[in-house]
Formats: sequence, C-alpha cells, structure tokens
Amino acid sequence: MRVRECTRARLRDDDHCLYPAQRRADDDGGVGSFPSLDETFDGLVFDWEGTAVVGREADASHLRRSVEALCRGGVHVFVVSGTNVGDVDGQLRARPEGRGRLYLCCNRGSEVFEVTERAPVRVGRREATAAESRALDRAAALTVEQLRERRLDATVVSGELNRRTIDLIPLPERRGPKRADTRALLLAVSHRLAACSIQDLAEVVRIATEAAQSAGLPDARITSDVKRVEIGLTDKSDAARFAAGWLADRGVTGRLVLVVGDEFGSIGGVAGNDSLMVVDTLARARVVSVGVEPCGVPEGVLHAGGGPPRLLELLDDQLQRRASRRVPQVDADPSWVVVLPADPAKERVAEALGALGNGWAGMRGSREDPGPEGSPLFAVAGAYEDDGLLLHGPIWTDLAIPAAHGPQPGTRLVDLRTGTLARLAGGTALRSVRFLSAASPHVMALRAEGRAAHLGPAASGLAGGRTAERPSSLARSGRGRHQVVVASADHLSEQGERAAVERIATWETGVGGRSLDDRAAGRLAKASSLGFDGLLAEHRAAWARRWRDAEIEIGGSAGAEEDQLAARFAGFHLLCSAADAGEAAVGARGLTGDAYGGHVFWDADVFVLPALAALHPRAARAMLEYRVRRLPAARAEAAARGMLGARFPWESAGDGSDVTPRVVRGPRGEPIPIRTGIREEHIVADVAWAAACYAAWTGDQAYVTEGPGRDLIVETARYWSSRIRVDRGRAHLYGVMGPDEYHETVDDNAFTNVMARWNLSRGAELLAPTGRREDGRGAAHWRQLAASLVDGWDRDRELYEQFSGYFDLEPLLAADVARAPFAADVLLGASRVARSQLIKQADVLMLHHLLPTAVVPGSLAPCLDFYEPRTAHGSSLSPAVSASLLARAGRPDRALMLYRLAARLDLDDLTGTTAGGLHLATMGGVWQALAYGFLGLRALPQALMVDPHLPGPWSVLSLGFHFRGQRVTVRATHHDVTVRFESALTLVVAGKEPEEYAPPCVVVALPPPDARRTRP
Amino acid sequence: MTVRRNTVLAAVGTGASARIVLATAIEVGRATGAEVEAVHVEEGAGGLDAVAHAALPLRRLTGRTGHALLAALDAEDVIAMVIGAGVTPCGGHPVGETTLHVVTGTSKPVVVVPPAAVAARPIRRFLLPLEGDEASSRPVLDALLPLLAGDVELVVLHAFTEATLPRMLDRPSRDLALLGREFLASHCPPAARIELRSGPVADIVSEVSEEQGIDMVVLGWSQDSSKGRAQVVRAVLSSSSLPVLLLPDRQRDQRP
Repeated sequence: MRVRECTRARLRDDDHCLYPAQRRADDDGGVGSFPSLDETFDGLVFDWEGTAVVGREADASHLRRSVEALCRGGVHVFVVSGTNVGDVDGQLRARPEGRGRLYLCCNRGSEVFEVTERAPVRVGRREATAAESRALDRAAALTVEQLRERRLDATVVSGELNRRTIDLIPLPERRGPKRADTRALLLAVSHRLAACSIQDLAEVVRIATEAAQSAGLPDARITSDVKRVEIGLTDKSDAARFAAGWLADRGVTGRLVLVVGDEFGSIGGVAGNDSLMVVDTLARARVVSVGVEPCGVPEGVLHAGGGPPRLLELLDDQLQRRASRRVPQVDADPSWVVVLPADPAKERVAEALGALGNGWAGMRGSREDPGPEGSPLFAVAGAYEDDGLLLHGPIWTDLAIPAAHGPQPGTRLVDLRTGTLARLAGGTALRSVRFLSAASPHVMALRAEGRAAHLGPAASGLAGGRTAERPSSLARSGRGRHQVVVASADHLSEQGERAAVERIATWETGVGGRSLDDRAAGRLAKASSLGFDGLLAEHRAAWARRWRDAEIEIGGSAGAEEDQLAARFAGFHLLCSAADAGEAAVGARGLTGDAYGGHVFWDADVFVLPALAALHPRAARAMLEYRVRRLPAARAEAAARGMLGARFPWESAGDGSDVTPRVVRGPRGEPIPIRTGIREEHIVADVAWAAACYAAWTGDQAYVTEGPGRDLIVETARYWSSRIRVDRGRAHLYGVMGPDEYHETVDDNAFTNVMARWNLSRGAELLAPTGRREDGRGAAHWRQLAASLVDGWDRDRELYEQFSGYFDLEPLLAADVARAPFAADVLLGASRVARSQLIKQADVLMLHHLLPTAVVPGSLAPCLDFYEPRTAHGSSLSPAVSASLLARAGRPDRALMLYRLAARLDLDDLTGTTAGGLHLATMGGVWQALAYGFLGLRALPQALMVDPHLPGPWSVLSLGFHFRGQRVTVRATHHDVTVRFESALTLVVAGKEPEEYAPPCVVVALPPPDARRTRP
Repeated sequence: MTVRRNTVLAAVGTGASARIVLATAIEVGRATGAEVEAVHVEEGAGGLDAVAHAALPLRRLTGRTGHALLAALDAEDVIAMVIGAGVTPCGGHPVGETTLHVVTGTSKPVVVVPPAAVAARPIRRFLLPLEGDEASSRPVLDALLPLLAGDVELVVLHAFTEATLPRMLDRPSRDLALLGREFLASHCPPAARIELRSGPVADIVSEVSEEQGIDMVVLGWSQDSSKGRAQVVRAVLSSSSLPVLLLPDRQRDQRP
C-alpha cells in the first residue's frame, strides 16, 4: 500500500478514493504494508483517540513497547488527547527511560503531564478563572438558546475544567459512537441540521463562536467532533504549540517532527479536529493521517489511512531506521538552509560556505569523497605552525571511498539552525550528516550511508560480517609548538545494498606527546558512550540555545526572505567564530579557510567583537582575552620601536608578534612592500575600543576599570603618548595609514587621530584614580595630548579631512571610474589612486560608526554626502559600515543596497576569494548594520537607545541579543517598536526622553520618518 | 592496420619567412607529437632551399594558393598548419591575403608566424589569454588540450574586464593570488599559473610574454575579420614577435 498525498479537490473528484486505506487494508486482510517515509524523526506528536487506539478498551501494549523504545532511542513523544490523563495513561501505561521524553497533553490542550519512570507528573495546566468559567457557561447557554430558536434540540452535556460541551444529537442510539461510524454519524447530524434549516456544522460553529464573543471570550476555541460542539479556552493547538516549543528548545523543528492524527480533513464544513495540531510552529512537520478522512485531507497531509495499526507501523519503521543507524533528518527549511554550489569548479567556495565551527575548532564543508579540486581544512582556533600560519589539523571526514566509484552525486546544504552539514541524495547514493558539537567542543561526528560496495565492512576490509567496529585511531599534525591530534572510531554496518558508517571523533591540541594522545582517546571514549544520536541531540539543543539568544527575523517583500537568510548566515558564522571561554583567536576568515594564514586583524576587534558582545558575551570576552595574553608581546614591540606602552600588531597569530608580511614578490620577481604592518597603527586604539565596547554592551564596567581590560586601554594610551609628536602646540601622528589603504603613508589620518584621542582620554580616566602621583601626572599629560591632537575637522567645509592634504588631491568620484564596488587600485593602478580622493572604504565615516559621540554633532550627514561618492567599496569591510551609517542617517533604502552587498558577499562569492574562507568581519558588519543601523541600537551609559529606520521592502526587523545581563528582543516595524526584556530597562526610543520600563514588554509607536530627528 | 600519425603542415613560400615558418613548424610538431610536412603551392619559379635544409618532406600543391592550402589542411590527419603572416613588419595589416584566407576558412588551428618573429625556439610555454567566462574558455581548451603532447606548460593571462574586475581586494597581493587560483579552477585547471593584469590585452600579452619567457601565444577567435572585429587578434599579430596559435571558435561572437 502506498502513502498518498491527496488534496481535498482530488478526493472530491474521485469517489473511489473514499476510505482508500481501509479498503486496501481489507484487501490485504490487515492494514497492508507501509512504505517507509524515508525520514527519521526526533519528535513525534500524535492524537490519541482514533489515531493511537480504536477505543478505550483497546489493547495498547504494542504501542507502549514502541513508545518506550523510541524514548530509549532519544525520540520525544507527545500524545494529544481530548480526554483526561487517567484515561490515556491507564491505557498506555508507558514508563519511558532514556533520553527521549513522553508527554501526555490531555483535556484538549489544557493539561500537560511528563511521564516519568514512575508516573505522569503534571507540568502545566490551563485553568479557567472564575470569570472565564462564568463566561463559558454563558456562551454555552447562548449557543443552546440560539440553536433551539432554530428548533434544534441541543444540550450542554459537560462543563469540565475550561470547556463546555454541547451535544447536537442527544439521542440514546447516538451515544458514544465509534470512529468507524463517522460517516454514518455525519449523515445523521447533517440531516438533523438540515431539518432545522441549519446549513452544516460550520454554521453551528459560527453560532457558538458568536455566542462566546458575546459572553466575553474573544479567543474561545470552538471545536466539533460531529456529534458535539465544544466551547473552550484551549484545544489541540495548545498541545501542539507546547510540543513544538518544547522540541524547538532542543533544536527539533520542522521536518524533524512527525504529526499523526486521524481527522485532518473537513467534516461537515468544519476543519478536522486534528488539523488544529498543525500550528504555525509545526507548519513544516511531516503530517500523516491514519484516519478515514471521508472528505479527503488538506494539502500537505499524507493520507496513509489504516487507523491505529498504521501508527504502529510508522513507529516501528522509525525504530528500525534508528537501529540501522540511518542518516538523521535535516529540516531543509529555506529560511534556514544554505545550499552549496554543485559546480566542481566552485568546490572550494562550497567548502567555505559549508564550513562548521563551534568557536574552538572549525572545518570546511569538504566532501567525504574528496576530489583534487577540494581544499579541506580542519583547524583548531589558536593553533599555528611555528612560522605563524594556521595549523592544518588531520582531516577526519574522509570515508576513503575508492576513487574508482567516482564522485558521488547529491545536494549539500548547511542547516544554520542546527549547525549541521548534510548531503542529501536519493536511493543508495551517498548521504551524510556531520557536525562539530556545540555542546562538547572537542567532539565531532559524522554519519553516512551509501552503497554497501562503497561503505560496508567488507569494502573497508573489516571482518565481522554485517557490522564491524573499526578500532579507534589517532591522527596527528604539526611538529612545532602546536600539534593537533584527532582520535576517531567507526561503526560500520550494512543491510542489503545499503551500508552505514558512523564516525565519532575528538580533537586535542597542545605541545604534543603521549598525554595529548591520551586526552584525545579519553574524550573519544566518553563521547562514544553517549553515541551519535545523543551527541547530535546535545548539539542541536546547544544551537537552539544560541539562536534563542541571537534570533534574527526580517519580514517583508522584494527580497526580504533572502535578506533574512543572509543575515542568519552571518549570525551563524559569528556564533561559530569564537570560543566562549579561555582565549579566542578570531582570524579574518575564521576557521573557514586558510587565507591570510589564519591571522588576527582589526577585523576581530572592531567588526566581530561588537556583534558577539551582544550575541554571545562570553565569546567576546574570550576574544579580548586573546589580546590580554599578548600584551607582553605588544609591549615588547613598542619597546623595540623606542616607544612606551603596548603596540598591537596589524597581523598576529599565536605568540602575538607581528606576522604581517613586509614584502611580496611581483610578477617580475620584484619586491612589493606591504606597509600595513608598519603604518596601520590604528589597530592599537581599536583593541582598546573593543574592550570598552564589550563593557558598554555587557555592563561589565569592572572589566575595564579594574579587570584585564584596564591594561588594554591604559597600555595602548601609553603607546600613543609616546608615538604622538607635538609641533608648535599641536599634536600630530605622522606616517600612518587609515582604514583607507589606497593612501598608504599619510599624516594626521582623522580616524587614527580621533581613535588615539579617545584612547588617551579613556586611558587618562582609568589612570587618574590610582592616587599615585606619577599616574596623576601621566593622566594630565594624556588629556593635554588628546586635547591638542589635530583631528582634521575643517570648520569652513564642515567636514573632517581624511588626512592632511586629502582635500588637495584629484577630486575623483567612484562613479567617474566604474560602478562601485570595484578594486580601484587594480583598475587605475595604486599610484594613480593614491593621487586621487578615491577611497577604499569608510575612513572618516568609520569614526562616526565607532565613536558617534566623539565627532562633531551633525557631521554624519555632510560626511556621508562627501565621502560616500568617493568610496569605491573596494574592501569587504566597507559596504556594511556604510549601510549602518546610511540607515542611521535616515536613508534606509540606500542602506539596504549596501547591506545586501555585504550580506551576499560570500553567498554569491562577490569578491572571488570566498574559496579562501568566509569574510567574518563582513558578517560582523552585517549584524552591526542591522543592529546599529536599521534598528538604531546604541548602548548609552544609562539606557539602550532604539531608533529604527526600516527600508521600504522590509515590514519587520527583529533581533535578539544580550544587553547588560538580560536577554532583549527588539522588533521594529515602520510604525512601532516592540521591546521584550527580562528586568527593568531604560530605553531611549526614537529620540524621546529616557524612560524606564517594567518587563516583559513595551510597545512604542514611532513618529513618521519626516518628524524624526536624525541621529548624530 | 596502419596507424596514421597526426601531421602539422608548414605552409612555405619562396620568401624570407620560409625558414622561420619551417623551424616553428618543427617545434610545433614536437609540442604536439605530430609529424611535420612542408607544403608549397607552385605559382611560379622560386627556390625552396629552406625545406631542403630542414630535411622535411615537401608536398607540392597546385591551384590558387589559399584554396590549395585549405584543401591540404582539410585532410583528416592534419591537425594544424603553420604559416607566415604574409606581410612585412612595417606593413599596415597583421596578415596577408593568403594567410587571412586560411585562418578564416578553416576550422582547424593555425599557427601564424608574425613578421616580427626573429627566430624559432623550442615551444614549451604557451600563453593563453582568457576572458574569464565559461562560454569562451571552454572551446579554447577543448581545441587546445588535445593538440598538446609532452612537456608543455600553460600560462593563463587574464586582463580584467568590467565584468571580471575584482570588486574588493582586502589584502591585494594575497587576494589576487586567491583570485588567480579560483580563475584557473573555473577556466583552465591544467594551467601551471596565471597572470592577472589590467589594461589592453595586446599590450599585456607582450609584457607577460617577455616576463614569463613565453614561446607561443594562443588565441581563440571568431574568424570574423571584418572591420572592428578580432581586435585582440589583430593587435597581438601586429605586435608579437612570437608565433600565435589561432583556435577557431565560430560561436564566439554569437554568445551573449
């Protein structure tokens, strides 16, 4: 017997389709065979009466065994029933053990019981208040009165808990009809209604709904099982919502959930009772009807028929799949998955886009059957070769499929919601799922299935018949100070033509030696005891927690869906990028590729860290710890240059020394100097700014006043105090390079100078209170230097000059040359560009982005007007910052164009360099554009500022984040902003006065855009 | 059964270029693993000392020169022809009438020895300018790769166009290396390396040829020699001192 996906329309056209399952079941002398759905579910929600059991007297022992076995295997089961817990539990009597949970959602969603090893324990109950009870009574009485006015004899038959039931056919012969009699019952009720000029059940429901509203119950739930109509405060949708929410908290969503009922199709014009289980949060679940469904099933519901025996088949099939270690399901929700390019020429791009990470380690999405076009990478954060290049760890995902079998077909996708990389394929082609555990950072796992000839124990040269364990093995890389060891073990099995491989692996890093091996092996033993399914469940749950704290939602039209996916892609990789303890070395490409040798740039401090300070504060702290632990190296670098304090290098790796290449060879072998390491000194202030940013968002001011962050700010300020030159009463920074790297050696770069000024001032604030005389003198000196440091502000032009002499350069606009973005240095040559006003990326404007209160008030708009047309956006860092500023300045539609450029940068490989790894700083910029730009968030000393400017195509933008110890969600539309929070919060919304609000939520109407003040 | 070997034809006349055409053809034969045969269309008296000196078999053809050469090139075993440009270095056109007739009339590769060529040398390193789109790269590779045999090296040259100009270069030298690697992966995996440049292609071809010790330039072209077409081919033939391998791709100009 085949599962059919029927629509109601089809069924109406085909009378023979009525009772299809039952008829076939009869033909087969049972319920017939049931083909596998070829899906493995982790959550199971099923209706009780008619779906799980035929009646209250039915034997449920098979069901009990199946449910208990599923729970042992880690499946979470939710039984949804209209009856009470005593009836359900008395019949099911399941007492599950293991990871999976069993919940009984009884009384039409009014009560929820968790079934423990001993008994059901109530965990939730929706009770009617006295007022609601009175309203329910009134509603029921009004309904009966209305029906009687139509000459229909109906009676209120029960008033349990939070509902009232009205019997539409209170006749002795119609008491307690069986499910199989539904069609006959429907005919009887329809005749009875028709006799009273009532069109159908839908009209009865409408009468009851209006009665409930008249009685003061605007959200009453009206349901009907044909014989009865119920007016209640809850229904199956509440049970389904509970299940969906509980499962979602564990990362079990969408197609990982199976919903089974027997009444999804409409009956008598009323939607089937079980259709209530298909709530919005289960909209992507697999839904199967085992019922008769006389009028067909709604679109998207599989009609299997067969009643309760069919449910048992479904459950047993799931048990079989788990026993066979089939590759787990991935919910291919288009708003959460990124499909990787299939073109072999784009394999390295696919590998970068398919990268996974947990902050501690990362790996590219290389194939399990790698070809020559790939460039696989497994790397551990902070593990570098002695020459300062990222250490490549052992590749642990290779399944060693003989090359003779050729490349395997299939679609690869990353599920951002659960942090898994999946390979989908039909038949016995290679499928796989892998992850780097977000719950256990040293653990990773892969499960694959394919042809036995490729993957089976025999093909792998293992004895043992249909199953075999490959002994655990150790692989090692690195010979210097850092080594990476990977321990792994395989379980191989085969069944018919299909074989499965399950690999659990653990990594360790350190100086090498036996202890490293032992630690990796010890971790492997521990991980293996939990098993692949257990590890995956932990991992999914950990990602669910991450996303709960970092939700991103963009709604609207004209590309909003793509904007949302791109934003989630950025959020995902930001959350993958940094460990949440110890130190986190976040390279410009993270661990998604080895471009730039995994070196750490200002990208980490200024682009990634601000996002993580809000999304994952502990990770931001770990990023700062990376800088703190390299203060000695930064001090040494300053001293080597005859300076005081600490000079952080433009590029750093393991030991904190400057690893910026000084020269590269040109096509003729000629040396081309790289000056960023020598000139781009603003990174010194950027590191200090990052510490202050962390403190501002987390509220952890102690980190900078007395914690490790203090040294980051004070020692960098000390560096500037020795780096600055005073000339005729004005302080200068000569021979620097700003973020605009088209102008390599300039004097008094506005960005560098104002950042240094801020750094000196902040350093003086921290130095002054020590009470030591030399600190007092030092603080005073720093303040004086800060006050005298030129900043490029041109009063006449009302603009900042990017550096001394910039206004005298050829006034070339980007539009005069090409359509931005473009690499102007390639197009025009470096020397020509250096003679012009063309700039690579925001430079003066970067000041408005990082230090909005340290620039001249009102200078954002004129600086945008002047510098934006001169910006080629020839850096991946540029578009997002401009988007943020344009949105802040009330130009959200122009901002959206640049936002999209940034958000799609890697997804569309706009730079042509994604193959070398993803641009993490751009992703940080994307989040900042959403938060600082479109939502207008800013961490003020005493409040959170919210000032949304949404572009036309977006109807809603919602971000979740941490702010000073509590979780906050800001949801903005064009008309209002809703802020959810956990404890008292002071908000400054759209330029209004600060106001403290009580949790959990406040909605503030926004003034029209033309009535709003532009932010400075 | 006799296995017939591939043949490269050297189209020689009685002019001064015959010697270098023959020498080039011998090197092309080495690079392609083909036999070399000289062909000469008898139009009048004239010595063919160069052929004798090269110890190559000579086949005398009759008829109108261009047509006779095309007919010889059409033979199944012939994989390419080497021919002189047919003009003097100071001439106003890149190729003479006969050569133009051959290169526009055949579907097979033709090596044109430009008037500025001074001496033939072993052909091991090919410069292959590519535009950076699959549609134009694929036919060139499909035509070129089967020709090559033995120890040869492909150097790809890409002159950035409006469509291929990098949009962003965060760390220019390192990003260009990445871009180059990906360009090769997409358009010419067998190539040993790539040069990415900006500017007029013909100028860059000369520049890179000199820098990289190139032995032969390879150009795909539409065989449309009408005014305003085949600008790169014209420019390279006019300025290059290296033999130029022209690979016909009639669809080239029809593609969007």
